Amino acid sequence: MEIIAFVNNKGGVGKTTCSKLMAEYLSKKKKSRTLCIDFDPQCNFSHQYLHMEIDPAAPEGLMPPIHPDYNPNDEDDQNWDGRSSIAEIFYGQGVIPYPTYVESLDIAPGHAEKLLAAESVRRSEVVDKVHKQLAYFLNSSDVQAAYDAVVIDTAPSKGPLTISVIKAATHIIIPSVMEEQPVQGIYGMLQLWMQESLVREKSRPLRLIGILPNMFKQTRLHKDILKSLQDNLAIGKYVLPVKFSQRIVFAEIDAADSNPRSIFDFPEQHVAKTEAEEVCNHLAERIFA
Amino acid sequence: MSKKKRFGISEALTRGLSETIHVVEHHSGMFRNVVLPLSRIELDPDNPRKLIIDLADIKQGIRPDDPDHQRKQEELERLKELAHTIQANGVINPVVVYKRGELYRVVAGERRCLAAILAGKQEIDARIFNEKPKEFELKLIQWTENTAREDLTLGERMGNVREIIREYQNQKGSVEINASLLKNMMGLSLSQASYYLAVLNAPEDVQFQIQNGNIRNLDKAALIAGIESPEIRKQAIAACINGSSIKGLRSIINQQRVLKKAKLVLQTSPRGRHAAKINMGATNNIEVIKKIINCVITQMQLDHHATAIFSQTNWTDFRQVTQAFRKLIEILEFKVVA
Repeated sequence: MEIIAFVNNKGGVGKTTCSKLMAEYLSKKKKSRTLCIDFDPQCNFSHQYLHMEIDPAAPEGLMPPIHPDYNPNDEDDQNWDGRSSIAEIFYGQGVIPYPTYVESLDIAPGHAEKLLAAESVRRSEVVDKVHKQLAYFLNSSDVQAAYDAVVIDTAPSKGPLTISVIKAATHIIIPSVMEEQPVQGIYGMLQLWMQESLVREKSRPLRLIGILPNMFKQTRLHKDILKSLQDNLAIGKYVLPVKFSQRIVFAEIDAADSNPRSIFDFPEQHVAKTEAEEVCNHLAERIFA
Repeated sequence: MSKKKRFGISEALTRGLSETIHVVEHHSGMFRNVVLPLSRIELDPDNPRKLIIDLADIKQGIRPDDPDHQRKQEELERLKELAHTIQANGVINPVVVYKRGELYRVVAGERRCLAAILAGKQEIDARIFNEKPKEFELKLIQWTENTAREDLTLGERMGNVREIIREYQNQKGSVEINASLLKNMMGLSLSQASYYLAVLNAPEDVQFQIQNGNIRNLDKAALIAGIESPEIRKQAIAACINGSSIKGLRSIINQQRVLKKAKLVLQTSPRGRHAAKINMGATNNIEVIKKIINCVITQMQLDHHATAIFSQTNWTDFRQVTQAFRKLIEILEFKVVA
């Protein structure tokens, strides 16, 4: 099972869009049993597949809807409130992924309040209580048996939640807009990659697939910054040869009532679909090589 | 119109990115730096630094009926000093460990671990080797950590060197160890390496005194080890134990050289001016001159008249003794020619 995480501590660089495209590509095109995980308290990734509800306990945050398998009359469900998010791993609860409209694509949604609470544990406890939990969950035998791939969307931060993703991942991809601030975000992520690489066991390295230029526009700014990254000896080999262009259709598809709902359901020859296939195919080849 | 603006990423950011990538590409997988609970740490019984105090003594206190109570108490006091600085500043350098079953065995940093426990710490920064280092590398790590220390006795250091050599020979077959090999093996200077080699091959009496802690200095030990004559070596060992300087030891050895040279065939240099006279040499030992004069008088059965001058000599005055000796030469020249 490969665990693929999209990370960048700068917000708005397209982590969620990339996660969504990759997850759908793997399940629709590669027929891989795929689990999406939303590790961002903003829960945007979850919202793509579920009707997230406003949490009455924390009106600014979202929580997952009632699980379709929940049956309040079933004895087994007596001690369950019917909602399950990935944040349950921090509270010793089981995680019950939700099915999505895509076959063989499940999602373990976020839960704003619970994820934020996990991030605010005391510094001395963070290693045991947060950093390792996602890795424990994903390494459990039932998760390993149920899925071929896991795609994780992360919060725009370098905090405990992102670190726990880095610790659990087998591969990371750093999407970035070719502008000064997002490129600084690349540096933050490379730091986490370095720290994790130094403590990883040789047998399961954390592979950096690369920096994925996103929302690329044929402007001097984007072209120059991309070129300066490519021209650097050390960085150049981690700049992916594929990129996502700035296309309004990638944003439109995020809207709840869009039709079709997945870019991969667009007609053949559609320029955005072709591009998504090209990028995701390249990433998949690197990951499953 | 002004030139079109060019964009790029800042130099600092470029450098940061390249350096980070470099670190990962070159260092990942060899070891990992972690924070280890001290409860999972065990000491290495084969570590050449022979701290007598152990984990149980630190955790439960030294038992009053412990036969080593005195020495352990002293070690504990020294550890408390270190514990004090650890309490204030933490452990600066991570200790080196490797995983051994459920526990982590200390390769280097025994005292730091014990002191951190004393300081009431629960965790310690550690560098974990992913695999158990090969015996040779293990010894070498312990060696390099230990050579920087002041409190290791010469006996402990020699034990360490022997183990390194044994491991080296286990790996490379039994090659002959010479100073330059030792130098490369352990990163010493050539002179240090040859001192160690000399002490390794030292006669038993020297080894004994090193083990007992009576000879503590490597240079002196190497010097004494080189003395062939057992008597003079005995003298030198005694002098060393009594605190003789290295210069003092050298003068004892010079005596040995004089005696050694006496046995050899005399060799003179053919260079320089043609010698028409014999230089009689000089000494600051009046007894030597007195002895020569007495011997000659007795041997030659010189008459009283000729030797009267010697009975009047003040034998504590260098000038008078010199005069007396010259007189003897004169008499002899006269007598021998006659």
